[in-house]
Amino acid sequence: MILPRRGEAVIVQGITGRYGSLHTKLMLQYGTRIAAGVTPGKGGESVEGVPVFNTVKEAVSKSRARSSILFVPAQFFYGAAEEAVLAGVKLLVAITEHIPVRDTLKMLELAKKHSATIIGPNTPGVIIPSQGVKLGIMPATSFKPGRVALFSRSGTLMYEVANELSSNGFGQSLALGVGGDPINCTTLNECIDLAQGLNETQEVVIVGEIGGDAEERLAKHILDRGFSKRVVGYIAGRHAPREKRMGHAGAIIYGDYGTAESKINALKEAGAEVAMTPMEIPLLLRKRRDRRERT
Amino acid sequence: MKLFEYQAKELLKEYGIPVPESELAHNQGEAVAAFRGMSHPVVLKSQVLAGGRGKAGGILAASNEEEVTEAFGKIMNLEIGGERPSCVLVEVSVPHETEIYLSITLDRGARAFVVISSKAGGVDVESLKGRVIQKISNKGITKGEAQSVAMKLHLSGEERERFSRIVANLERLAREKECELAEINPLAFTKRGGLTALDAKVILDDNALFRHPEFSKLHPEDEFEGEASRQGFAFVRLEGNIGVVGNGAGLVLSTLDLVADAGGNPACFLDLGGGAQRERVEAAVNLVNKLPNANRILVNIFGGITRTTDVAEGIKSVIEQGVMKPIYARISGAEEREAREILAKTPVHLHPSPSEAVEAAVRSQ
Repeated sequence: MILPRRGEAVIVQGITGRYGSLHTKLMLQYGTRIAAGVTPGKGGESVEGVPVFNTVKEAVSKSRARSSILFVPAQFFYGAAEEAVLAGVKLLVAITEHIPVRDTLKMLELAKKHSATIIGPNTPGVIIPSQGVKLGIMPATSFKPGRVALFSRSGTLMYEVANELSSNGFGQSLALGVGGDPINCTTLNECIDLAQGLNETQEVVIVGEIGGDAEERLAKHILDRGFSKRVVGYIAGRHAPREKRMGHAGAIIYGDYGTAESKINALKEAGAEVAMTPMEIPLLLRKRRDRRERT
Repeated sequence: MKLFEYQAKELLKEYGIPVPESELAHNQGEAVAAFRGMSHPVVLKSQVLAGGRGKAGGILAASNEEEVTEAFGKIMNLEIGGERPSCVLVEVSVPHETEIYLSITLDRGARAFVVISSKAGGVDVESLKGRVIQKISNKGITKGEAQSVAMKLHLSGEERERFSRIVANLERLAREKECELAEINPLAFTKRGGLTALDAKVILDDNALFRHPEFSKLHPEDEFEGEASRQGFAFVRLEGNIGVVGNGAGLVLSTLDLVADAGGNPACFLDLGGGAQRERVEAAVNLVNKLPNANRILVNIFGGITRTTDVAEGIKSVIEQGVMKPIYARISGAEEREAREILAKTPVHLHPSPSEAVEAAVRSQ
């Protein structure tokens, strides 16, 4: 996964919609260089001064962008993702919620074949405060540059945790939402591999939730491969009922599969500390940094 | 969306998978008529979505009309997991010797659909020993792959042929109807050498329903869940007394944890969604106000894209319209000072942190 750096061109698919245009404005304000937008049939228009094209191919050839953020409605999402991958886009940030899971599996297969990365779907996106790059819908004010890499399955919890971190002096090297759907095209395991290679990153914060086994897999990955940075986790949904979908398509417990307890235990076994509330995360980080500074 | 057993079995039939002869009964007369029209004995099965139906007494055998009448009455009055049936499936009892577990399901870790099968049918899949798991490509299962599942279960001859045909058909059903889960448990080997699906569970991918108008009117929904889904809220009804509202699924989920940790009991999970406008906040608070088991409302908002002033205006307006249940709120983020000012002259109990708002909501009488 190669994330855009400061000043690198990106495109917005679905730029003329309500969300697409609002977030184009907010991303531009943050400093993201949005060089082109795409909405079929709206070529020639402009949004916030960004030229709109009918196809991804035109937008890419005019802008040289290799990253795209997509605000395309779920029914049309697969087609838009396919168009982007075939036009040579290498990073797709899939903001859209409610994409059928079989469409996600198909686009994941296609992306792999073309060595492209998809973040999401149903993700708030990714933000790199030190680069002034925001490819997402997160509120900019919660995020400050720093040394914590933050990965989350939930959007608003990511903002809440970032806010707690920032106001306690823990800025972020990057924050990335893997998405609230049952299938994450970029997994927590891939996120932690990315964090391993980021020199400025000192700690990793994982915000997980009930459903699936992404956190258990992450714990196993850490145990198998080793991970040299400190990990603090938080899992939402300790008191959630079983067999009920708790807002996110992926937040559902079946039997004993997907419980918060299983995830908390797995993370602890892998050497992570686990906070019981979002507010506790900076406290655990502080304890760790203090301890290290003493030794 | 989970289907009732009878709906799942109709799908199996459509895909050429044998199911026992059965009829749906909404009243005693229909149950007896169904019994008269089929071979005996029969089983009567409560049509609820909750699990653990057999253990709860929701499946009863009957071999004469008196027994049918009695069983029907018992089942209709039996609540399972808080759910009462609106009908009973009367089904021919199928004598059989062995059972198999078979399902097509999404393996989230493998990021693929899989076939899961085991010779120990009838019980919880998690505890199945010697289960066979076969990954399926996005194009669907091949004949050879279906055969290989049968071989791993040590089936041979005619049994292997029949079983692999069922695997292939169930996979086609799951793919074409876009099911998250299509499960037959148990699949019975009958004395005559046939295979029959005795029970079935199908969970559809809600996000794919726009491609499947055939499922649009399948369910009698809970009144509140129906209203919430029309409003576009993510809503789950719970059993406690504190109605929990917030913006963002993860945030509401973590608020439920805070409530439970403080000794409270949530009445619902309501996610307003991102960028909630004033009208949506009004609709959400009104919905929780109508929820009979909620006697107080806890609102937890972290405003990013959502403007907290919109939230405050929404809350103020429902109070002016007469919402009487006490409201406890934590509202922070964009424009929070203005939001506080809007709510200052209302009876809303505003708190600076989620834990303080939760504590206040739980402690109040």
